Amino acid sequence: MEKIHVNDSELVSRYIQFSDEHAFETLVRRYKSKVYTTIYLIVKDTYVAEDLLQDTFIKAIDVLRSGRYNDEGKFLPWVLRIAHNMAIDYFRREKRYPNVVFEDGSSVFNTLDFAEDSIEDIQIRDETHSHLRSLIKLLPDSQREVLVMRHYEDMSFQEIADATGVSINTALGRMRYALINLRKMMSKNSPSYDTNLYSE
Amino acid sequence: MIQTFTQNDIIRYVYNETTEDENILIQDALISDAEMLEFYLDMLDVQAGLDKSYRHPSPTSIDTILSYSRKSSESHHTTV
Repeated sequence: MEKIHVNDSELVSRYIQFSDEHAFETLVRRYKSKVYTTIYLIVKDTYVAEDLLQDTFIKAIDVLRSGRYNDEGKFLPWVLRIAHNMAIDYFRREKRYPNVVFEDGSSVFNTLDFAEDSIEDIQIRDETHSHLRSLIKLLPDSQREVLVMRHYEDMSFQEIADATGVSINTALGRMRYALINLRKMMSKNSPSYDTNLYSE
Repeated sequence: MIQTFTQNDIIRYVYNETTEDENILIQDALISDAEMLEFYLDMLDVQAGLDKSYRHPSPTSIDTILSYSRKSSESHHTTV
């Protein structure tokens, strides 16, 4: 049976006013994959991404509990901004990309975290999607940044331009190259596509 | 006369950042411009692939978050 969809604003309101844990759990489960994927594509390490996901929602909880939340009901963009800042702060602390990761970006420390899925589930999921994620990681930094901000963080091209200090046309151009490059990489077995990557 | 659009305009269209008026003009242009239509379909294909590429965090992380929320609720109520 289809569950009744309660909007984010209502859930946030229930959580703040009545400490409705079920409302907050609904928000977490609704957006956990989107927030997690956004962080993962920035830090490229599932172990770090798991930590930062927890830090992101814990910060969100603290702000919501303190009564300082004021985002006109736009919960997801607000949480994604926290996640983005967490990921950037991580880089500032580490001053480098993590070194010890598997080819698909996973860490030796967290492979057991996915043990609750069946082997078949893991295989299907990974074979279908890990390839594309690995391709995203091959993009030039400026293209990957815009792709993550637009596709996973739901920022508009104007917001991306403002955040990255470039014109909207440059932001659009980077996104265009990112998508074209991904398309080329996805189709590398097709003779109709050349496999050279465009850069700005 | 059919207005000429750039690939950047198509990217805006794919991500729903064009106006209603632009949408009508772009849809007309896509009918008459096979190359632009191919580009548009390619971009849709990549976008669909990205939509399916979400990773899922471990249940342990979600439990940690929800547990923190419950504990913060208890401490919030004891201090208020």
